[in-house]
Amino acid sequence: MDITQLKIHELRKMLDEKEISSVELTNEYLKKIDCFDEKIQSFITVTKEFALENAKNAQSLIDSKNADPLCGIPIAIKDNICTENIKTTCSSKILENFIPTYNATVINKLKNENFVLMGKVSLDEFAMGGSTQTSAFAKTKNPFDLSKVPGGSSGGSAACVSAGFCAASLGSDTGGSIRQPAAFCGVTGLKPTYGRVSRYGLVAFASSLDQIGPIARSAHDCGTILNAIAGWDTMDGTSSKENTMDFTSKIGQDIKSMKIAVPKEFFAEGIDEEIRNTVLKSVEFYKSLGAEIIECSMPSLKYAISAYYLISSAEASSNLSRFDGIKYGYRSTQGDNYNELIINSRSEGFGMEVKRRILLGNYALSSGYYDAYYGKALALKQKIIAEYNEIFKTCDVIITPTTPSTAFGIDENISDPVKMYQADICTVTVNIASLPAISTTCGYDKNGMPIGMSIIGKKFDEATIIQVADAFEKQFNAISPNLA
Amino acid sequence: MISYLSKLSKLQFSDDEIKTVADDMTHIMDIMDTIKEIDVTYDALADNKNVYLNDLREDKSAPSMPTELILKNATNSENCFVVPKVIE
Repeated sequence: MDITQLKIHELRKMLDEKEISSVELTNEYLKKIDCFDEKIQSFITVTKEFALENAKNAQSLIDSKNADPLCGIPIAIKDNICTENIKTTCSSKILENFIPTYNATVINKLKNENFVLMGKVSLDEFAMGGSTQTSAFAKTKNPFDLSKVPGGSSGGSAACVSAGFCAASLGSDTGGSIRQPAAFCGVTGLKPTYGRVSRYGLVAFASSLDQIGPIARSAHDCGTILNAIAGWDTMDGTSSKENTMDFTSKIGQDIKSMKIAVPKEFFAEGIDEEIRNTVLKSVEFYKSLGAEIIECSMPSLKYAISAYYLISSAEASSNLSRFDGIKYGYRSTQGDNYNELIINSRSEGFGMEVKRRILLGNYALSSGYYDAYYGKALALKQKIIAEYNEIFKTCDVIITPTTPSTAFGIDENISDPVKMYQADICTVTVNIASLPAISTTCGYDKNGMPIGMSIIGKKFDEATIIQVADAFEKQFNAISPNLA
Repeated sequence: MISYLSKLSKLQFSDDEIKTVADDMTHIMDIMDTIKEIDVTYDALADNKNVYLNDLREDKSAPSMPTELILKNATNSENCFVVPKVIE
């Protein structure tokens, strides 16, 4: 038995029944990181001593039978989530030496359950990308095939779980950044409803779209982590007061009579045939359980990429104006006056993709273009929300592919921003409409690369999408990558 | 256009970079322009429904982060941020 590939609820049982200690478990993962992360490059910072100290503290609670569900469970954190006294780089040169003086709310919530913090994992710079190749520090590889990308922006979060370097991780999702890498790396990723999880301490990319969520080996594990991190927070005015619940409570309930919608545009031209067939086969599985399948349509999908990139870049151009080299972050040694110092610090500190997004955002917001681009994108956002509302009038969940292709080669799309942007077609509408969605592996392509299926739910109905994903996972034989 | 946007963005590009950036932005704008095909109008009032003013925090003073922590990640001197001379 490879302990590093076990799910959280299996580890919980082993820890509680004293088959293994939290320190031993943490050491197992650390050993694996030592052996293989040089190849995978998922971690930017491994907090070895801190992790072992966390594990030791957790063990005393386990020994006294006071263990919460995540007590003693090793978890990695995306490096755009602030961790007190632990470097938080956003994979950017501009934050290379930034050490936060406070914890993000999600970190404090995980600490309340005495989790083990394994370290900080790589991402596309400022979470802008779908490959993790724009990281200034760790250009993560896909554990299933080192010549392929792990996806992004939470590529480090997905790869470290897939490779067995930790039990689970936290990522963030602005346009698919949890679900797409989870699909590419053969793990499960949950993007909660906007507002379900506090964003306090998450370095902002696009504030109306960003949401923190878990990546793990099962939908059940994602639910266990969501139980710990969800909830209203006084430090985030956009967090929701909607009641939290046990998000795993519907697991095992009957799928019979559930109504599942399949929007035809998500299966149209541009989606790889193997992916289309594999996801549709999974839909048939639900039908065999007694679910009713409803064909539906989302006519605005073809405009979703433009709407998403205009809104997210506009917000990014504003959010990233805080990086001036004065208050924190990289400061250029060049520049005789205040303005020059700021321009030089930003120009030397940001990578090219981040600069492109800032330019695009400022263009969309600038005088004379605002109504034609940003205003129109907001109008489309309302239209997409209306189309989702219409679909949800007659169904409980929606199933789509997570990505139009499986993981692509390291050098394939990276230099072509347009191609990279278009690859987000299956995921961005969920963020635009503030909905929850989960991606789980539903098959493998002819090269053995994982294929992801997304289950989209109604606002704040994470429990149902976890239930639906779990029903599939229970009968699916997931494969772990071979790192040797 | 790129030089105007660079100024707005407080960024600068070398001559070589400007050519690449201009090409990239032209291609990116080609996709963004598809949004012009669809006839939709933004309804600001509909979005305002999602703003809950009653949810705002009570206006009460609370401890702030200590100055020494705020300055920890900055170039600082005598408890202040250090910047180049602003007034000539």
